Amino acid sequence: MVLFSVLAIALKDLLQSAVALAVSSLLLGIIFFRMDAPYAGAFEISVVAGLITVLFILTIALVHKGDEVRESRLANWVFPLVFVAFIVIDALVMKGLLGKVPALASGAETGTFGEVLWKGRTLDLVGQIAVILAGVFSVLALFRKGDKHE
Amino acid sequence: MSNTWFFYVFFAAALVVAGLAGLLVKRNLIKLFICIEVIGKGISLLLLSTGFAKGNILTAQALVITYIVIEVSLVATALALIINVYRTSRSLDIRRLAKLKG
Repeated sequence: MVLFSVLAIALKDLLQSAVALAVSSLLLGIIFFRMDAPYAGAFEISVVAGLITVLFILTIALVHKGDEVRESRLANWVFPLVFVAFIVIDALVMKGLLGKVPALASGAETGTFGEVLWKGRTLDLVGQIAVILAGVFSVLALFRKGDKHE
Repeated sequence: MSNTWFFYVFFAAALVVAGLAGLLVKRNLIKLFICIEVIGKGISLLLLSTGFAKGNILTAQALVITYIVIEVSLVATALALIINVYRTSRSLDIRRLAKLKG
């Protein structure tokens, strides 16, 4: 999954990047399923790997000449170098850091996922509805403005 | 359990740093947005793996679903903005955007 995510950033062709991102989302969804989180896995695969990839590909098709952005030569070797350096540091340091994380004082969860979502995180749901509405209105506003220009 | 958690946190950190490094070196607007998506993937992996390791998987799942909903809204808005920017400046290069006046 990390490999596909890195490919999504490093590949020069935008379409290939979008497909690599979709594959990485798919693998993340499978990891979610393996962690006993079927709802999050289903959302990740259907929404992120499906809908967001479609949106990306649509945008890339609309701005097909935007492919021609010249990346700096520095980026070709700085990005892999930084990434490999971090992986080495990560492998050396992370285990020690994790040992120092104090245990959270939280009780064990009871009930089903639905109960936790509807009773425990009710405010989140209200926020989600507000965010979706905000997204819809902002997209509407942006495209209406574009039409007036034409 | 702890060993699995270590691997998940390790990969989540790798994803976040890959996204940050990409944000610093890339110049294409869509590529920059893909980097933000990769950072988001790292964060959601970290959230869910920590919930899994600490026995709070249901709350973690609810948080990840909230994040996914926000992500969709963010993607739709940002891609609409990118299309508008492309219509205005005929380019996706962030250096050219920095030179815009008025």
